[in-house]
Order: sequence, then structure tokens, then C-alpha cells
Amino acid sequence: MTPHSAPWPPTPGPRAWVLPAIAVLALLSIYPLLFAIEVSLRTPAGHGFSNFTRLVQDRFFLVALAQTLVYTAGALVIEFTLGLGLALLLHREFRGRQVFRSLLLIPMLLPPVVVAVIWRLILNPEFGVLNGTLRSLGVPTASLTWFGSERTAMLSVILVDAWQWTPFMFLLLLAGLQGLPVEPFEAARVDGASSLQIFRRLTLPMLRPVIAIAVLLRTMDLLRVFDQIFILTQGGPGFATETVTLYIYRTAFRYWNFGYAAAMSFVLLAATTIIARAFLRLLREQPA
Amino acid sequence: MKRLLQPLLLTGALLITLLPVYWLATLSLKREVDQFAVPPIWIRFTPTLAHYRDIFLERSFATYLLNSTVAAGVSTLLALGIGTAAAYSLARFPRPGLAFWILSTRMFPPIVSVIPLLLMLRWAKLLNSIVALIIVYTAFNLPFVVWMMRSFFAEIPPDLEEAAMLDGHTRLGALWRVVLPLVRPGLAATAAFCLVIGWNEFLFAFLVAQTDAAMTLPVGIAGRVTQYEIKWGAMSAGGVVAMLPVFVFASAMQKYLVRGLSLGAVKG
Repeated sequence: MTPHSAPWPPTPGPRAWVLPAIAVLALLSIYPLLFAIEVSLRTPAGHGFSNFTRLVQDRFFLVALAQTLVYTAGALVIEFTLGLGLALLLHREFRGRQVFRSLLLIPMLLPPVVVAVIWRLILNPEFGVLNGTLRSLGVPTASLTWFGSERTAMLSVILVDAWQWTPFMFLLLLAGLQGLPVEPFEAARVDGASSLQIFRRLTLPMLRPVIAIAVLLRTMDLLRVFDQIFILTQGGPGFATETVTLYIYRTAFRYWNFGYAAAMSFVLLAATTIIARAFLRLLREQPA
Repeated sequence: MKRLLQPLLLTGALLITLLPVYWLATLSLKREVDQFAVPPIWIRFTPTLAHYRDIFLERSFATYLLNSTVAAGVSTLLALGIGTAAAYSLARFPRPGLAFWILSTRMFPPIVSVIPLLLMLRWAKLLNSIVALIIVYTAFNLPFVVWMMRSFFAEIPPDLEEAAMLDGHTRLGALWRVVLPLVRPGLAATAAFCLVIGWNEFLFAFLVAQTDAAMTLPVGIAGRVTQYEIKWGAMSAGGVVAMLPVFVFASAMQKYLVRGLSLGAVKG
């Protein structure tokens, strides 16, 4: 057999090796998406757009949408600020830095269900360790109801999200910082620039592409949040922590209205796409 | 003053990160009297394994554990097999449009495809089975595997497998014997990512597998949360069991964590 004879048995060329993946995704990602369009047009009176027109007047949906945006914005601000702070702290070389980094990443890897269990136990108003500790220090805890009252529930679920996902921001921003060239920073220091000036004029602009990616990925996940809130509060008390995904879930699997639920899920998809495109545009505009 | 600030802030961050996890672990090892003690007991308590014994004596808990392992494990193997082939193809014969299309399927919020997938699985009579979860997780992890492995293959010069092919290997043989051994760390990291995603997944598992026989660990634990609010021992022990494997996977992911989490958009 010469090296150039055709192999036996004949195998499809490597260009075609992508086909099984395409088949799986077509069947399990693209077809469901098209199917969902059909489902979203299902109404009691045949197919039509009434599910979409109903959305605009559904006060519950609009409140859930507004609360999703509050949740997303709140968690983003906390996670970005703390994540950037941590990244700057760990940017400098010191002994044990790698260990610190690994330990700080733990929350993000945990199953969201376990994170929810942890915080339900810790923040239980009567028996939880946080209020217990505060009480033994003489701090009154009557108003610290956490997930238990409409006033504090949203803030509490945001804080839990921040606990789990600040590490994500920190990790990406730290990687971004470490990928920056050293020379501009040295030059700035030689020219006598202050730390604050360097941070505002150099670090932030140069870090912008990484910031955009980190914020984009986090935003997409925040808009679709389900697990933690479902276990922490089920959207309650009342409607205080209901997000779009929870409302879709309730519509589909408690009220069994698949058509309306599918219509809402497309609004969520559209919102996600619009926001993602905005971030990608920001990403492409490289700083001068 | 400034030199003291950094260690102080770092210690604070570390405590906030680790104390909740530590607290869950101690709750799972405490007798009930100690769980609710005021002031809280942080270190000095009589440890007991009773809660772990209780949950493992419950037959369903062992089933959840097995289901989670099978669903995450088998879907990871399938996604790796199908995805690695596609990734190699895309790395050696670049088709950027196709690559982006594959990645974009991962951007859909899962809630959009939950309803149609559920209807499809019902039609195929696969609801409440582990097979349903394997199918869904394979499709879910596939774009991720393609994207990751493509970047690892792109780092390997094509000359290597061309040399092997001149020596009489088929391309598949060259991929198997020459290229795959070189990307082994990347393959391991990708596998670990898929395992964690499958292991942690809740929404689909919750909706697709509702019977005790098909339930996964996160769904089983979530069920306990609402059922026995006061059984803190069982809840915390279950939580510890669910998070332990993640620590094992994490060590395999360490080096490529940034690449995986940013889908390659950030070099780390």
C-alpha cells in the first residue's frame, strides 16, 4: 500500500465531521425555537397574535419585567464593583496569591441549588446564624427579615447572586488586567501620574473590551435567572421577587398556558439579544 | 496604613466567601440542639454523621445521586465525542459563519426551548427518564465543546498530523494518536466544565424528570427545602454531597477557567 492510496474503509472527509453536531443542534436547538414560535401563536381561538397583544396589558408581566431589570442592574453594579476591586487587589504579586484566587472562586462553581440552601439556612430570620450572631451582639434583628418580607426580599436575592457571581467578574477582570501591556503604565509612572489618574486614564479604557465581555455574559445570565430565586422565595413574598423566567414558568406549568408562556419567552429572548448587541458594539469600538 | 489595607480587605473577602460554605458543612455535622444554639457554635460542637446516615438510608437519595452522575457523565461523553469531531473540522477547515451559528445556539435563554423540548420529549415518550436529561444536556453542552476544542486544536500546527498522514496514518488515526494527546489538558478541562454544568443544572431536570426514579440531586434537594423546612441536617448534608464533586472537577478546570467562562473571548 502506497501512502497515497485511499484509506479503507472509506471514511467521510474531515470537512464533514461537523455534520453530527449540526444535526444535533438543528434537532434540539433550532427546531425547538421554530416550534416555540408556533406554540406562541396558539390561542383558544386558533392561531393568532393575541398572546403578544395581551402581553402589553398584563400588569403582572410588566412588573416581572421591571423586577428582572432591577435584579439585573442591582446584581451587575455590585458584582462589577466588588469584582474590579478584588481584581485590582490580586493584580499585584504576593505570596499565596494563587491560593487566594482559587479560594475566592469557589462560590461560582457551586450548584445554584446548594447556594440557595446555604443562604436560606443562614438568613432564616429566627434560627439563622446571621441574625443569631447579631442578636447575641445586642443588635435588634426584628427588621432583618431577609427573604421573609416584601421590603427586603429583592435586596436579599440580589445579595445572594452577588455572593455567587462576583467571583466570575473578578476572574475575568483579573485575567484582563494581567493581559495588559506593562509599558504604558511604566511610562505614566515616570511622567509622575497619580494612581488614580493611571486607573482612570489607562487601566479602565484598556480594560474596556474585557469589561464588556464580562458584563455581557453576566447580563445574559441575570436576565434568565431562575434556580436561586425559585428556591429562595418562589418569586414571593407576594410578587416581590417574581422575575420574567419565574412568571413564564408559572404561566406554563401552573396555569398550563403554553402559548402565552412561549410568547413571553420571545420577549425575553428579544430583550437579551438587544442588550447583547449593544454590548458587542461597545466591544468593537476599540479605545484610541 | 496603606500596606495594612490590602491584607485586611483580602481577609474580609475570603471570610465572606468561605464562611457560608463552612457553616453549611458544620450544620451537616451538628446535632439538632447545636444547630439552633444561640449564640451560634462555630467550632466546638460534638460532630455527628447521623444526618449523612439518614439521607443515604433514604432510598431515593441514592437514586438522585446515581441519576445526576449518569446524566452529567453520559451527556459529557456524547458532547465530547460529537463536539470534538466538529471542532477539529472547524479548526482545520475554517467556516466562521458556521462556527458562530453553533455558538449562538447557546445564547438562547433555556426557558425559550423548555416548552417545545418538553412537548417533543412527551411525544417521544421520554418524559421522566434519565435519557431525556442526557439528550437535553448533550445539546446544551455541544456548542461549548465545539467552541473550546476548536481553540485548542487551532494551537496545534497542522504539520504534525500531516507528517503522521504521510507515514500512512488515516486522518482519523492521526487525530487520535497525534493531535488528541497534545490537547489532553484542554479536553480534560472541557469535560470538567460539561460535568459541572450537567451536575448543577436545575430548570430542565426539574421540569423533565419529576418522578422520584428520574430525579437528579439538585431537584431532590430543592424538594426537601420546601417539604421539611425544619430538617436542617438533611438539607445541609445533601448540599455538602452535591457540592463535593464540583471541587474535584474544579482542579481540572483551573488552568482554562477563564477561557471556558468567557468562551475564549478573554485570554487568561
